[in-house]
Amino acid sequence: MKVLLMQMRRELWEHRSLWIAPLLVGLLLLAAVATVGRIQFYQGPAPGPAATSSVNTPFEQMVLGWGIPFYLVSLIVIVVYLLDCLYGERRDRSILFWRSMPVSDTQTVLAKLLVGLLIVPVGAFLLSAVTSLLASAILALRHHVLVNGQRAPLWDAAAWLHMQLRVLYSLIVLILWYAPYAAYLMLASVWARRSAYAWAFVPPVLVAMFENILLGTRYVGGVVQRGLNDVLRLAFNLNRQFAYNLGDQLPTRRAAPGNGGGASAFLENPQMWLGLLAAVLMLLLVIRLRRYRDDS
Amino acid sequence: MANLIEIEHLSKRYGKLRALDDVSLRVGAGRIVGLIGRNGAGKTTLLKAILGLTPYQGSVRVFGLEASRDRSALMSEICFIADTGVLPRWLRVDHAIDYVEGVHPRFDRRRAEAVLTDTQIPRRARIGELSKGMITQLHLALILAIDARLLVLDEPTLGLDLIYRRQFFDTLLNDYLDNERTILLATHQLEEVEHLFTDVLIIDQGRVALDTAVEDLPQRFVQLSVAAGKSEAARALHPLYTREVLGRPVMVFENQPREALAGLGEISTPRIADLFVAKLSAREPGPAPLQVGAVA
Repeated sequence: MKVLLMQMRRELWEHRSLWIAPLLVGLLLLAAVATVGRIQFYQGPAPGPAATSSVNTPFEQMVLGWGIPFYLVSLIVIVVYLLDCLYGERRDRSILFWRSMPVSDTQTVLAKLLVGLLIVPVGAFLLSAVTSLLASAILALRHHVLVNGQRAPLWDAAAWLHMQLRVLYSLIVLILWYAPYAAYLMLASVWARRSAYAWAFVPPVLVAMFENILLGTRYVGGVVQRGLNDVLRLAFNLNRQFAYNLGDQLPTRRAAPGNGGGASAFLENPQMWLGLLAAVLMLLLVIRLRRYRDDS
Repeated sequence: MANLIEIEHLSKRYGKLRALDDVSLRVGAGRIVGLIGRNGAGKTTLLKAILGLTPYQGSVRVFGLEASRDRSALMSEICFIADTGVLPRWLRVDHAIDYVEGVHPRFDRRRAEAVLTDTQIPRRARIGELSKGMITQLHLALILAIDARLLVLDEPTLGLDLIYRRQFFDTLLNDYLDNERTILLATHQLEEVEHLFTDVLIIDQGRVALDTAVEDLPQRFVQLSVAAGKSEAARALHPLYTREVLGRPVMVFENQPREALAGLGEISTPRIADLFVAKLSAREPGPAPLQVGAVA
């Protein structure tokens, strides 16, 4: 356990963008909230307790909106990280140093996976939560100064907490859902001799193309598209009710069309389990390749 | 004496190239073995096999463990410095110490700090900012602070200036005298270190050309500086190798009783560098003997 923790610290030393980028987002966001724009609050009825309907209140939309940059930036740094994490050490031959330490390849690979799939997303979540608190406080302060001591009308603690729980739930779903994609990126990273990016992105496209031409099916293409689509939806659709319903929508919609979804539907989704199985198999391969690959 | 390393029929191919070809050898505890060979002779491959860093055919048992299978367990007992600085350039000096302390159960931080206080290495510098000599000093400090039983050094002083090389081997020797360690040292800079060796292992084209204790060298090898007019007689005794020094033929004999040579000139024990050249030219009867024939 001590070794695993140290391995993860070492990853954060090497790939500083993993924590600097989200931190920077938070600072920029706070700076923007503090300086930019007129204070013009929602004029409708006062926000009630978090609605169970899928329509978000302006406050909820605002909290969601603040979260988006964190997840976008984290996504980018995670992809870059996973592609580099087993390739960079061979490129600069430092793998000879890492492997001269009593750390097994399984521990190393596991630490890298945990950093990419757990530490950074959860870190981004915590940062976005803190940022939304601070941003709300800043807004309230600006409002207070402007509107002469009135209590800020927007802040809604119950709604905030509720949003955080929803986002956290979505995060868990996304982590499970994207585990095979992360494992695949690590596989490209441990396999590549030249460009890990080429190994990550060219083969799936080629396989999908040939599959479509030769067999007329679109299975691989579907898997690739599914990954991209969900990312794109995450990127551009968040502003509506996306994050709010994300946990329900993503995988379950396909598994059980028409089903409202929820945790149980997600856990019963065979695609999710197949994906996790694929992730485990690919990780076993990654460990094996790191262990027996000798091109340093 | 217990054998730390037992190698049986070790072979390793890179494609068509036989890097190691049926190598068998043993290394006892407490020895300092000089591993000598031309570039590409298989030294590094042999060391990597012993360290479990590369797959191989045959058996390599270190401390009774099979190297390729039990690498991470083995690495608590072995330390390794490779030829060129493999310490990652992005790592900070103090983090490097933290890391080894975190993952290595036998690391003694005070000892590393003690070795480092004699150097001018700034603790918060990144390794990429250090000079080559400093990087090697740092690596040595990290490694000597590990209470390991076997030290594997693959041309550790390559590219260092004379002062750094001296310091390196002085530090190493002092440490060796304090702690009974076994050292496996591959090097080209024979003159500087041959006095350290207890054993000599010459590798040539993937095979063991010579494997002997230094104390056995005088019985086995004799160097004869041939007296005038005795060339024919000396050559009749089948020298391993002949070269010319100041107009006099100097021959190296293997397993030739000293008495038989006593009358033919001055007798001495060849230095390891001469032995190395003798062993290698004995394999390929090339220009050296012919030249001498022409002179004599």
